[in-house]
Amino acid sequence: MKRIRALLTLASLAFLLLGCPKPESSSAMKVGLLTPGSVNDNGWNAIAYEGLQEIHKQLHAEISNQETKTPAEFEEGFRSYGEKGYDLAFGHGFEFQDAALKAGKQYPKTIFITTSGSSVAPNVSPMVFELEQATYLLGVIAGRESKTGKAGVVGGINLPSIASTFLAFRAGAQSVNPNFEVKEIYTGNFDDAGAAKLATLSLINAGCDFIFHQANEAGRGVFQACQERKVRCFGSNKNQNDMAPDVIVASAVLDVPGAFVYMAKLVHDHKFKPQIYWLGRRQRVVSLVWNDRLKSSISPQTVAEVEKLDAAIQAGTFTVPRGKF
Amino acid sequence: MSAGTPSGKLHIPISVSRIGIALMAATTAIAGLALCGIAFGRSPGELLAILASGSIGSSFALQGTLLKSVPLLLTGLSVAIAFRAGVWNIGGEGQFLIGALGAFLGARYGLIASLAAAVLAGAIWASIATAMRLWRNAPEVLTTILLNFIAIHLLGYAVNGPLQEASGKYPQSDAVPAGAALPLLGNLELHAGVVIAVLVAIAAWYLLYRTAEGLRLRATGFNRSAAKWAGVNVDAQLIRAMAISGAMAGLAGGIELLGVTHRLFERFAAGYGYAGIAVALLAQLHPLGTIASAFFFGALTTGAGELQRTAGISSMVATLAQAIVILAMIAFMRRSKASS
Repeated sequence: MKRIRALLTLASLAFLLLGCPKPESSSAMKVGLLTPGSVNDNGWNAIAYEGLQEIHKQLHAEISNQETKTPAEFEEGFRSYGEKGYDLAFGHGFEFQDAALKAGKQYPKTIFITTSGSSVAPNVSPMVFELEQATYLLGVIAGRESKTGKAGVVGGINLPSIASTFLAFRAGAQSVNPNFEVKEIYTGNFDDAGAAKLATLSLINAGCDFIFHQANEAGRGVFQACQERKVRCFGSNKNQNDMAPDVIVASAVLDVPGAFVYMAKLVHDHKFKPQIYWLGRRQRVVSLVWNDRLKSSISPQTVAEVEKLDAAIQAGTFTVPRGKF
Repeated sequence: MSAGTPSGKLHIPISVSRIGIALMAATTAIAGLALCGIAFGRSPGELLAILASGSIGSSFALQGTLLKSVPLLLTGLSVAIAFRAGVWNIGGEGQFLIGALGAFLGARYGLIASLAAAVLAGAIWASIATAMRLWRNAPEVLTTILLNFIAIHLLGYAVNGPLQEASGKYPQSDAVPAGAALPLLGNLELHAGVVIAVLVAIAAWYLLYRTAEGLRLRATGFNRSAAKWAGVNVDAQLIRAMAISGAMAGLAGGIELLGVTHRLFERFAAGYGYAGIAVALLAQLHPLGTIASAFFFGALTTGAGELQRTAGISSMVATLAQAIVILAMIAFMRRSKASS
């Protein structure tokens, strides 16, 4: 009986298998994306997926994505895009470099882009974000406007990319006040808002009157502490000015979807050249966004100085220091 | 089955009815996936066609499936051996990681040394749980899962600290020396780990069903006190089963390192250890059945990738299918027990 039922189910399955999908044919650009996790994570992966959808909207490209967990899947995803004649395939993270190089060799007609990384081949390039260009300016604001000569930074995990934004922040502050002190605390994760709040309070108690964070979700705790103690602070990655409009002076904003569109346009217009793509102020991927409500609390000289520097960075006449990674 | 009379049941050999249960569970999972497709506005037939073509439809797809079946087969065997001895080793994930770590450290001495190190490291890591059982009667269900977390953090420390790549850029290790990498089979993308995994499965079957030690191991799992009264050294069986189980998960990690990733990084295990539980359950803890079961889950994962690339349905549905398989197996096995 069991056997019969199993056979019946199998037979009906085989019947269903007969219906095959018809291959689509079009001349539109084809773009694929591999993410290391779910695109519904409201963070790193979601923002890449948003970029992919922007590419679809702006360039009318045919898009596809896959959530990949293991290097075996990275390679398979890239190869599959190569096999199907995709023009461009993104791997969202440094961990996709090896797979991109391997697939790049096999499929020379497809261009493989990794988000961060340093591996370059004729059809493989990383794009690296220069958020430092904005955090440097935040440092200048803190250096000029602080009364105590001290600012605090709260980080999630001590990753090279995060340490580098702090390095630029400190360099910015010390460029206008050589004795300026920047105190650093890493909480060890990106989601414990309570820990971030405690870290912020301890920085405020130590005399810091400007706070900058790189704690992603946990940044919420940083803003709570600043609101309670009426200490000014900065937002990061997204425009966070609305999260605590009475204390956030400005945000260092990174437009990841914009970066994806920028790279896709290069490939679309046949302007791609293998190199490390530094994406920042000039490509409008990074920007400093003031909170208009609090901008008046900053002295006009500081605002003018920051805007002048910003223009110099955009023009390429001033280079912001960054960590080596 | 309600229609089958008890006397009618006896005519179906146990092995056949077991395969029937497994097939039904697998079918339920696939049917569940196909029905999910309706929610995405796709016809079930179209989804099944994509699943099939994306997992076994071309040599390219088949290689992807086999590549993913290797770690699943070994972690599945690891779970099967431990469960057979009555030990709930759900620490495959940690043993997988420690095995990879061992393989990485042994890689400078060549391929064989590296694989041996993986086996040894996995066995030792699993044996910590046994030691705690014998010393303080700590249940393996707890200790093995807690050891997973320790392994994850140990690996995280290693790739951020002592084993980080020489250039110091990213939290990952350098690649293992080319001499230690598993050779590819012919001109395929498939590494020799496929052969090793199948040989290990056959060896496990031989151990369990063709040796006296295997009988003692199974007796221990079947009824510990009865085995003890029958003169089986139960403690020795537990120690050995757990060590073998850990060794297999460790080997899985080593093969994944030497055959696929070539370097260590934080999210190295990606659930292979836990997936091994579903693999072993679908195979009903039979080593040879594990081969088919691992292939099934490998195909499912690979097909799910294609499903997302072409139909936009999240490849995470493969995880959903795993859950359905486990639930269906439990349901069908209880039913067949109740009716016999």
